[in-house]
Amino acid sequence: MAYEKKQTEHAHADHQGHTAEHFREKHLMLDPLPRGQMNDMVMESMLEKPTWKYWAVIGILSFIVVYFLFYKWGVLIAKGQGVAGVMRPDYWGIFLVNTVFWIGISHAGTFISAILRVFRAEFRRPFTRAAELMTTFGLVQAGFSIFMHMGRVWLAYWLMPYPNQRMLWPNLHSPLTWDLLAITTYLLSSTMYLFLPLIPDVAMARDRSTGWRKTFYKTLALGFRGTEGEWTHLRNAMNIFAFAIIPVMFSVHTIVSWDFAAATRPGWSSTIFGPYFIVGALHSGMGAAVVVIAVIRATMKHMKYFIRSEHFDAIGKLMLIISMAWAYFFFNDYMVQWYGGDKWTQQLLHFHEAGPMGWMWFTMLICNIVVPWAILWNPKWRATPWLVGTVGIIINVGMWFERYIIIPISVTINRMPFTWRLYKPGIEIPMGIGTLALFILLYMIASKLIPLIPVWEVQEGQMAHELKKFGRETVVTVSELE
Amino acid sequence: MTESKIVDLLAVFPDLEPAANAIEHLRSIGIHDECMNIISGIPVTEAMLGRPHQWTNIPRIAMGGAILGFGAGFFLAYITPYIYPYPIQVSTQSFIPGPPTVVVLFELTMLGMLLSTFLGVFLDSFFPNYRPMKYVPEVSDGKIAILVECSHMEEKKVTDALTKMGAESVKPAEAQHL
Repeated sequence: MAYEKKQTEHAHADHQGHTAEHFREKHLMLDPLPRGQMNDMVMESMLEKPTWKYWAVIGILSFIVVYFLFYKWGVLIAKGQGVAGVMRPDYWGIFLVNTVFWIGISHAGTFISAILRVFRAEFRRPFTRAAELMTTFGLVQAGFSIFMHMGRVWLAYWLMPYPNQRMLWPNLHSPLTWDLLAITTYLLSSTMYLFLPLIPDVAMARDRSTGWRKTFYKTLALGFRGTEGEWTHLRNAMNIFAFAIIPVMFSVHTIVSWDFAAATRPGWSSTIFGPYFIVGALHSGMGAAVVVIAVIRATMKHMKYFIRSEHFDAIGKLMLIISMAWAYFFFNDYMVQWYGGDKWTQQLLHFHEAGPMGWMWFTMLICNIVVPWAILWNPKWRATPWLVGTVGIIINVGMWFERYIIIPISVTINRMPFTWRLYKPGIEIPMGIGTLALFILLYMIASKLIPLIPVWEVQEGQMAHELKKFGRETVVTVSELE
Repeated sequence: MTESKIVDLLAVFPDLEPAANAIEHLRSIGIHDECMNIISGIPVTEAMLGRPHQWTNIPRIAMGGAILGFGAGFFLAYITPYIYPYPIQVSTQSFIPGPPTVVVLFELTMLGMLLSTFLGVFLDSFFPNYRPMKYVPEVSDGKIAILVECSHMEEKKVTDALTKMGAESVKPAEAQHL
């Protein structure tokens, strides 16, 4: 009997050991390493000597940025908006498509960093910074795109309220100034929200650097040591930001949607555009975030320790839910317009589906609904980084098409049939590619300068997690440390 | 004179538990909480270390910023239309429309609040501060450091107490450039 009991105990201990090992492999939060080692890993990922491939990509992107973005912009300024495809009735073209698209991309950072922080979603910890960087760099592209659309970009300061000789203040009640206020507020807020949690990590980098990097990190760390007072102020500020930046995020894309919805145009005049745009922004933002995270994991040293299948699984679930929400809002918007029976709206809906750009309308539905639903329901596929990353790319193609359909294609059909004309983009295409290249370029440079993993947040999470037995089952438990 | 000289000791602990015990022990031998400061690489709460509540002005500064932002929004949305030499009245439209004003007020209130929260961290933490400071880089590797201020006479007593409570090192703290 004693032997049997011992055997059972052995088997039980083996099982427990196996379970613990299984959990460690699966969950970053249950697989702690000494803090010094994690710091080393993050520093090595930044300091690793770039390969020739890295420099080649940097070179190509720099060329695209210089030629496609800045040179072509110079051409646009010199020759005027005629070199773009915008003319009656399509005065809103790809520049505004890209503006809406990049603002959408920027929603990922706030969603991951603020909303998931507020709801204490623990899986967010290793990739909050990667997403926050997307927000800032995405908004930079959105800003560029608006200035491109503006044409006479040197007069942009007319939007700013300043007391001038003629006492002409901008009309603050105009949607144009709402955009200015909302985007400026969001850009400043998200940049500050990126910087605050970065301070402890740059202080860590300062302690481990020499030369120009030491000066760089020392300047950014502002003299942070990690005293009780500094942490208290930082934690309080981050809590305020996490709650306050969420309504700012919602306001930005709602205001962008009002640029369209406030007009009494067929296809645009919709009360549901605000939430529909926000869900669309989250759809493309999460899609882009998963692509960035998959690329970081695949290309940067030690990132496989920090970013694991569990993270793709969690993001994949969110993407699936957001895709369903997008489908709901799309159908809701479509249904009401279709049922309304307005002659011009009927024409527009028919033009969307059966017009010369109908392929784009169907591709949009395939990319935004069919592909995510077909792949992300499966837990195994959902946990496969390259596959979820591919779905992210496809969703972004779909969401770009959605904005293209809402803006230039919908503007084609109006209540004056004699003005109908299909939009054919010109210089906007290379300039749009230029903004994409600039986004990737900024990200690649930042990955070598900024610790992409918030190590202190990861360590804090690892402290809070443990395995606990309930009866015969071992489960993961989390303590609230704050 | 020499006896009343104040010294700063910096003790490095491997973990939270011995650091918390050491703080309790220091208190029992007569070191006040105001004479201690904890330096850590993660946000260790006051409760974990049995320390008194840390005061912060951030929420008040944020509220002040929100009020200023609201004021700026009010000025731009309500006041500036009246500053025009020739106020522009468009047909029967209201001179200062309500809903667009809400948008302006909301955005500027939030901007004021978030900007002041950010600046509040700088004000409350005295950032940026590039002067020499008492610090050990091991903190960013997960160690917990206790900075103790005591009289020269108490130095040995405090050093012994900290060592006994598991400090990896106890040494006089010297301000250095970070």
